[in-house]
Amino acid sequence: MARVRNWQLGREMSYWYPEARPKRQFAAVFDTNKCIACQTCTLACKTTWTSGRGQETMLWNNVESKPYGFYPLGWDVKLLDKLGGGNWSPGRYDGHTIFEAAQAGERVLGWRPDEQDYAYPNVGEDDSTSETDLFHGAFMSLPHVRWFFYLARICNHCSFPACGASCPRGSIYKRPEDGIVLVDQERCRGYQECVKACPYKKVFFNPITGTSEKCIGCFPKIETGVQPQCFVNCIGKIRNAGFVSLPELAREDNPIDYLVHVRKVALPLYPQFGLEPNVYYIPPRHVPLVFLRQMFGPGVDKAIETYENAADDPDLAGLLSLFGSTEHIMHRWKRSGDKIFGYDEKGVELVSVPMKEPIHVRAAFDVEHGVVRTNCP
Amino acid sequence: MSPRVSTCSRTARAVCLAALGTALLGAACAKKGPKGLPEVVAFHRATLPATAADPAWNDVAAYTAALVPQDMVEPRLMRSSTPLVRVQSLTDGERIVFRLSWADSSQDNLPGAARFTDACAVQLPAEHGPDVPAPQMGEKNRPVEISYWNAGWQSKADGRPDSIQALYPNAHVDHYPFEAAPLGKGTPEQLAMAKRYSPARAVNRNEHPADRPVQDLIAEGPGTITPAPETRSQGNGRWSANAWNVVIARPLPAAMRAAKRSQVAFAVWKGERQEVGARKMRSVWLPLSLEAQP
Repeated sequence: MARVRNWQLGREMSYWYPEARPKRQFAAVFDTNKCIACQTCTLACKTTWTSGRGQETMLWNNVESKPYGFYPLGWDVKLLDKLGGGNWSPGRYDGHTIFEAAQAGERVLGWRPDEQDYAYPNVGEDDSTSETDLFHGAFMSLPHVRWFFYLARICNHCSFPACGASCPRGSIYKRPEDGIVLVDQERCRGYQECVKACPYKKVFFNPITGTSEKCIGCFPKIETGVQPQCFVNCIGKIRNAGFVSLPELAREDNPIDYLVHVRKVALPLYPQFGLEPNVYYIPPRHVPLVFLRQMFGPGVDKAIETYENAADDPDLAGLLSLFGSTEHIMHRWKRSGDKIFGYDEKGVELVSVPMKEPIHVRAAFDVEHGVVRTNCP
Repeated sequence: MSPRVSTCSRTARAVCLAALGTALLGAACAKKGPKGLPEVVAFHRATLPATAADPAWNDVAAYTAALVPQDMVEPRLMRSSTPLVRVQSLTDGERIVFRLSWADSSQDNLPGAARFTDACAVQLPAEHGPDVPAPQMGEKNRPVEISYWNAGWQSKADGRPDSIQALYPNAHVDHYPFEAAPLGKGTPEQLAMAKRYSPARAVNRNEHPADRPVQDLIAEGPGTITPAPETRSQGNGRWSANAWNVVIARPLPAAMRAAKRSQVAFAVWKGERQEVGARKMRSVWLPLSLEAQP
């Protein structure tokens, strides 16, 4: 075991390999407040990548409802149970990561889902908690008394991947150019150690090929400067892909850095596992904080406060409206008055969006065609 | 590598282990064969049996190899499983065949999530000399040659179709894009598209040869095992009465033929116990002698 620095935990931690940061790190921000669980992202990924033999039950991208939805079943609660609790002191996680909590003979604390666990991807969908009855204004306050929310998930292309650490053959690697984590299909012999180790259960075994497979971050698209399939097909425009920097190198004009490091409105998923995941979530503002703190860490209180203030925060509101506006990866962004711009790596403008979409009023009666424009007169 | 022990006590221990192994294997032994051997001996025969069930094995003396859990690299096997493997060996001067027999109460030969298939392997040093590389998969610059048999591959060789329905009879798949009718089944375009949806097959990852359930590999230490440029071993296995009986035949290395002695090691995986890869039971290097050609 080596010692590496995990900025999300604010401390050093144990990891199987020494620290080796990629040239740049593929990262994403998902705004959970906008997700409607239409599953278009899931369809986009499956159509593109997992329509082969042996991939029938794989969902490299999935959207599950929280708190009662899981794919595979119990992926987070089972591990949280095994890991036990842990406390945060200001800016530092004091509990054990899954590397530090590995049992004797193991590299990582993990568990193996069986085939049945993948058979119910829609379990718990739209199932809300029910502390009280719905009809007496339970939805009129924030957070909601009775709640659920949608959690869209892909591989987090972690800085310290448990899958990579667990493979006894070194068949999993992190690309030095963009930090995307891949299973070498030539080298993999299907031991499924990675499936056991990944806390997010985003590596899957293919029983036809006998290898394990996972989200590839649409790296062929990333290499040409465009965002992954699940991002560009998102109806709700909740996603934005880019590259995240280490906190000390964060650039205000980098969209991901701005949301993650500067405004701290986007948070990692279960940072306490210790992998430094690189998909960052704007937490759902209607969900009780006690639940969210376990899922996103202690930064949720401040993140939601910042997000709720977006109407009076033109920079933040402006950047959020760039989401889903272009297929290309925006390396830089800028707000200039009422327009927000996204730029590519070379500084060429990719897209501009207005802070407020202009409003056009159409007359109820079309004089030219002599028809009424409304359905009911 | 363990120091040489006196032949006397080793024989006594081997006889005890052989008796224990025989008792454990029970009905799997067709008959009680000759007394257990003190080392693995490859007896000379003009023709070699192709299957474990061949009656030619009935009068071949066996060596009972103790197995130990792999505990040198994580993930380690923390719970011992298969304690012994009974080994018989024959050679015709060109090839050497090993018949491995071990107790296993469940036949595991279907792959799947968290499902692992039973397997076994034979390991020989790539170069033959008085000393051998590290017993567990060799070491850097001192490779070992491994012939690996897998029950999942065996079931495919025995006719299990290459489809999800063979694993899950009630599975229904509405559509594979590469089977769309306009493509024309079996055309080069259709086959090329099917390959694109199976990256592991597209990279020619040297899966075990399609016609046999055995693969030859080379290793220079744990974690380095790699398919050999070609597989020259043959093998097959059958499960019955709570035991696996597997034959693995491979070319007899020339240096070994000349020296008439070498060392051999075995490994066994019990799929039901989620044994795969590094999680295995293995033997130490065992002395192997070749009976002279009459």
